[in-house]
Amino acid sequence: MTEQGAWRLALPLALAQAAFFLAPLLLLAATSFATDENLGSLSLAAWADVLGDAFHLQAVLNTLRLGAVTVLATLLLAVPLALLHLVAGPGLRRLILLAAILPLLTSVVVRTFAWIVILGREGVINSALLSTGAIAAPIPLLQTEHGLVLALTQIEMPLMLLPLIAALRRIDPALLDASSALGASLARTLRKVVLPMALPGLLAGCTLVFASASTAFISQSVIGGGRLAYLPMLVWQQAMVVFNWPLAAALALTLMGSVLTVAAALSMLGRRAAHA
Amino acid sequence: MTTLSRRTLMGAALGTLGAAGLPFRAAQAAGSMTAAVYPGGWDEALRAVLAPALKQAHGVDVAFEPLFAVDQIAKARAARGVAPFDVFVLDPGPRVSGMDLKLFEPFDPARLSNRARLPAGYSDEVGAGVAAQVVGIAYNPKKVARPAGWRDLFKPEFAKHLGLTGFGTTFGTISLIEMAKSVGGSEADMEPLFTELRKILSLVPAVAQPAAMPGLFQQGQIDIMYTNTYTVTLLKSRGVDIEFAVPETGAAAFGTTMHIAKGSRNIDAAYQYIDTMISTPVQAALAAPPYSFVPVNTEVKPGADVPMKSIDDLRSFVTHDWTKINPQRPRWIDRFNREMAK
Amino acid sequence: MARPLQNSAHMLDRTDTPAALAPAAPAGHRLDMDGIRVRYGQATAVDGVTLSVEPGEILALLGPSGCGKTTLLRTVAGFIRPEAGRVLVDGAPIGHLPPGKRGVGIVFQSYALFPHMSAAENVAYGLEARGRPKAEVIRRVEAALAAVRMEGFAARRPRALSGGQQQRVALARALAIEPAILLLDEPFAALDRALRLDLQLEIKRIQRRFGVTAVLVTHDQDEAMSMADRMAVMRGGRVEQVDAPATVYDSPATPFVAGFVGTSNRLHGRVEAREGADYRVRLDVGASVILASPRGFAVGERVLLCARPEHLALRDATAETPESWPARLRISLPLGPALVHDVEAGATELKLHEARHGQPPAPGPVRVALLPTARPALFPAGDDA
Repeated sequence: MTEQGAWRLALPLALAQAAFFLAPLLLLAATSFATDENLGSLSLAAWADVLGDAFHLQAVLNTLRLGAVTVLATLLLAVPLALLHLVAGPGLRRLILLAAILPLLTSVVVRTFAWIVILGREGVINSALLSTGAIAAPIPLLQTEHGLVLALTQIEMPLMLLPLIAALRRIDPALLDASSALGASLARTLRKVVLPMALPGLLAGCTLVFASASTAFISQSVIGGGRLAYLPMLVWQQAMVVFNWPLAAALALTLMGSVLTVAAALSMLGRRAAHA
Repeated sequence: MTTLSRRTLMGAALGTLGAAGLPFRAAQAAGSMTAAVYPGGWDEALRAVLAPALKQAHGVDVAFEPLFAVDQIAKARAARGVAPFDVFVLDPGPRVSGMDLKLFEPFDPARLSNRARLPAGYSDEVGAGVAAQVVGIAYNPKKVARPAGWRDLFKPEFAKHLGLTGFGTTFGTISLIEMAKSVGGSEADMEPLFTELRKILSLVPAVAQPAAMPGLFQQGQIDIMYTNTYTVTLLKSRGVDIEFAVPETGAAAFGTTMHIAKGSRNIDAAYQYIDTMISTPVQAALAAPPYSFVPVNTEVKPGADVPMKSIDDLRSFVTHDWTKINPQRPRWIDRFNREMAK
Repeated sequence: MARPLQNSAHMLDRTDTPAALAPAAPAGHRLDMDGIRVRYGQATAVDGVTLSVEPGEILALLGPSGCGKTTLLRTVAGFIRPEAGRVLVDGAPIGHLPPGKRGVGIVFQSYALFPHMSAAENVAYGLEARGRPKAEVIRRVEAALAAVRMEGFAARRPRALSGGQQQRVALARALAIEPAILLLDEPFAALDRALRLDLQLEIKRIQRRFGVTAVLVTHDQDEAMSMADRMAVMRGGRVEQVDAPATVYDSPATPFVAGFVGTSNRLHGRVEAREGADYRVRLDVGASVILASPRGFAVGERVLLCARPEHLALRDATAETPESWPARLRISLPLGPALVHDVEAGATELKLHEARHGQPPAPGPVRVALLPTARPALFPAGDDA
């Protein structure tokens, strides 16, 4: 398309990718097929332990489900918020944006521990519910998947809301007028015009939230706790505490593979929708 | 004079590089070195107390690299056995791992001038003990009765306040072993522990990472946990209602040891560093608030929250054989994961 | 490729809408704007506008940006609720109806085609929203695309169409729902000049054929001139004049209209005397002219004369007459069959249009005269705002 040899311009990036991304990844893959971290001899033991073990498979499912449920929860909140942002005045717009990016401005550790304060047995939610008499005894929130999803919804919200707002802002307001003048109801306009046009942003948000929530090591281990088994925690434990690097590598590759599969599926969905 | 100041300058410069986390082999000049240190309280204490004392006594500049014990071993392992620092500071479990992996230089206790102030057995051919940790049960006296011992933790009235943490840390491992012993198990047979844990699991308000435990205690999610005296002192200083209970079978103790990394080019400075660490003034300063270390120097009196009069009492504490524990730990960790999973 | 227009128009099935017209007998619907006032905060965008659009007529709303023409159009469309006033179609108020139920078709300045839909899907959108049967939708979409000669582009996305093609699709989409009123919001603003005239003529033809009543918003006087049956010149939220384009040009109601529609030379003066039905006016540039005016002026009153470029003529500098005044020709430019003279008379700049005969005159001293046949507009001087 362009001049011959233009590919050479991309060479430094390609080399950097190869050296700093591809090579370690290959090393990781090699480790997963070895008996130890020195790549002594070939073994399928680690993969057998991941794929043939109910506990590890359950952890894979848990991790994927956590990502999926968090995506649904953020969608449920982000879509109305983004629509509100679309029709709001400048003051409310700034407020929504500020609230959306606030989680990005605090450190992950602070955010996570703040959620302990909120979700704990003597936390904000339980104290409030107890004082209004809505519940007789504290309900377990911390160390439950509900609590974790609740926290992740806040933590991951900007990743959903910002691409969605950007996508909606790109829609020419005249299109909404045109739809309404042509006799479409608000619901029809949302379904036929707004949703298809916001779909790329929506899918980008879903992919980001899914990838981020399913790999949120700190939130998963601190808010979720030891009774919920997710892959990132198992990877860390096998690599750093148990020193079983082949198993850690196999688990890490499983995590990466499952997240990539979902991301690829979402992107394919987006492309198909764009051509439909 | 000129030589000295130039050397100091160079040491400082190299120390800065080391602190910046560059994969730079520890400083070459005779008067400088790099030491691993636990992040947080230890990092703070050693920078404030040990570094100036070392500089004053031996003219050695030390750069610290904050790393947890397991991370020190992992880093040395990842670097094919050559640690990017001169001195390790380790708990018993990682210490045994380091020995198995041959990550340490041979250690000659005779080169420590303060050797005589250490209790017998606190220095050997791999390193020297520099502090101790005393592990027992911490509880909130306003919420629960004082547990008499490890056995109590399985009773519903205590279990519903208990925070569990697994075999990932030294204090977690030895606490769980002690709990196993209290229900008829042993280091060789952890089955009774898991059987009993299964019975109380639905009551337990938290199963958490060790780092999350103090926060959960502070927030009232849990009111009982197994931990070390250092954590109790720290939380107390922040106004948390917390007391340390010595179990009826005795508190468990373990030493924190320092080791010289294999291939270190600052061996002299490393010995001086460890020697200064166990010296009476440094141990006394570290035993005092706000650091509240458990001292190993026989001339230093332990702090208020440490349940002993002098270092000699350490002998009466329960100790463990980590050469037996380490091979079983991966299995226990995996088992704990599976037992706890909902 | 293009089908004859009457044929395609015939294909549009109009039997189910009794109010709609037969293609060959334009009758259309009447649109009334009655005392409409729209305010944005403190600013009054439309200030009590009353206008009628006759059935089948194109009315242009012409004015500079900010004059309220677009606001008025959006009020008719139903996007803006007026503070006061009514919009009526065939005498029935439609103010309570949402845009989709008003029977208006809109062509937007940006065309507002749905980018994720094909041309056919765009045209079908309004019909589907109205729940028309699928077979009817397909038939009408084909007919509407054929009417704008876009039947070969049904499957294309807007991105793959040129500006002019997009506009045709937008028109087809607006017409497919068989609107009583067609609203055109600056429909040619995004097109280059060469394409505009063709499309203007074509839209006018289609509008005639469909007999649809249309309102065209534009800031381009040529566009209004070529397309509209009548134009309403707006300024500051008010209508200054509503008339046929030629009337607006020949007899502007205000100095603003004179200046906004066509070029206008402004000459100040004083009424010297009445001469029968005419006035003798002493111009400040140094001439005395006799003018007819429908307005009444008192002797001695200051007046403003707005003369079109073709109302004035160049005279030889030596040919001194009371009706002409001295000036200096700065430059003459040939413009097709005409010559445009750029002239200054003291501080007053003048533009003159004359038929071109031979070489343009050389710059220098000249005299300018008002042609005896010219009927320039005369206003009280105070009207010159």
